[in-house]
Amino acid sequence: MGADPDEELVRRIGAGDPAAVQAMVARKLPRILALATRMLGDPAEAEDVAQETFVRIWRHASGWRRGHARFDTWIHRVALNLCYDRLRRRREWTTDDLPEVADEAPLPDAMPGDEECKVNQALQRIAPRQREAIVLVYYQELSNIEAAGAMQVSVDALESLLARGRRALQAMLIGDDGND
Amino acid sequence: MAEKRTEGPMDARRFAALADAYGSALHRWPPADQAAAMLFAETEQGFAILARAGKLDAMLDRHRFEAPSPALHRTIVARAATEVRQERRRRFWWLGFGLAGAGLAGAVAGLALVTVVSPDIQPDHYVMDANATSFGDAGPDADQTEEDL
Repeated sequence: MGADPDEELVRRIGAGDPAAVQAMVARKLPRILALATRMLGDPAEAEDVAQETFVRIWRHASGWRRGHARFDTWIHRVALNLCYDRLRRRREWTTDDLPEVADEAPLPDAMPGDEECKVNQALQRIAPRQREAIVLVYYQELSNIEAAGAMQVSVDALESLLARGRRALQAMLIGDDGND
Repeated sequence: MAEKRTEGPMDARRFAALADAYGSALHRWPPADQAAAMLFAETEQGFAILARAGKLDAMLDRHRFEAPSPALHRTIVARAATEVRQERRRRFWWLGFGLAGAGLAGAVAGLALVTVVSPDIQPDHYVMDANATSFGDAGPDADQTEEDL
């Protein structure tokens, strides 16, 4: 594992450097907000998650020690946990009863230019763990090992979640199995 | 977590499985598979598999979101000063408690050591007893001697 590009910034935040705080928010807020928006499908809730994630960053900065995970992977895990707390509160699913099968019925036809909304709807209709895998690997561009670490699953399990999630999205968004 | 590496040249089955999982952009694929995947992507079969995965990628790429608002940025930064200061204060107090606890534990351990190692101290009244001698308590014998006389 190479050097952690965030480690020095975290150390400076822990020492009370205001410039480091600004730099950390500029660097991580877009990523955390994107993650939460795609996981929750609700911009207002995503902003709350982003704020709570940063509160945890500020609290842990002075005691941050790099373990097995990079700082970026750690904040992804924190943000994802906060997203799951909100998903549970919505009673979309419970911890013991994770929906593993997505609702793959094709979405209603979108108006031209409304494809973004259609993609958002499709993402919200797949199982949360599949959505999490796709968001981490596809949108956040974490490596397979980092994503598997953040999800606390094996790389094989991650690939299975990715493949099932993409198949479900393909059925909803393209309406067939993707063949010409 | 170990990276899984494709043994030998990539076959169509493994290439399709990776495309199903990671999509058509090879930079998202596991680094250990990328070199072999690039070679296979040049084949007709590889090209067809990537084209199929690319259709979904094109749809997913349409999902964008707005940049964070300056107000959100400001709110998060404003909270940082308070939280970092409170956390440092909390750590300082815990460090103080830790040091005090260590000091107390040392004092208790020292007292216990002294109690175990040190010999019993004779009671003062015994030591100062006028009838006591270096041969033991000779008091009754002395009394007896006086009576005999």
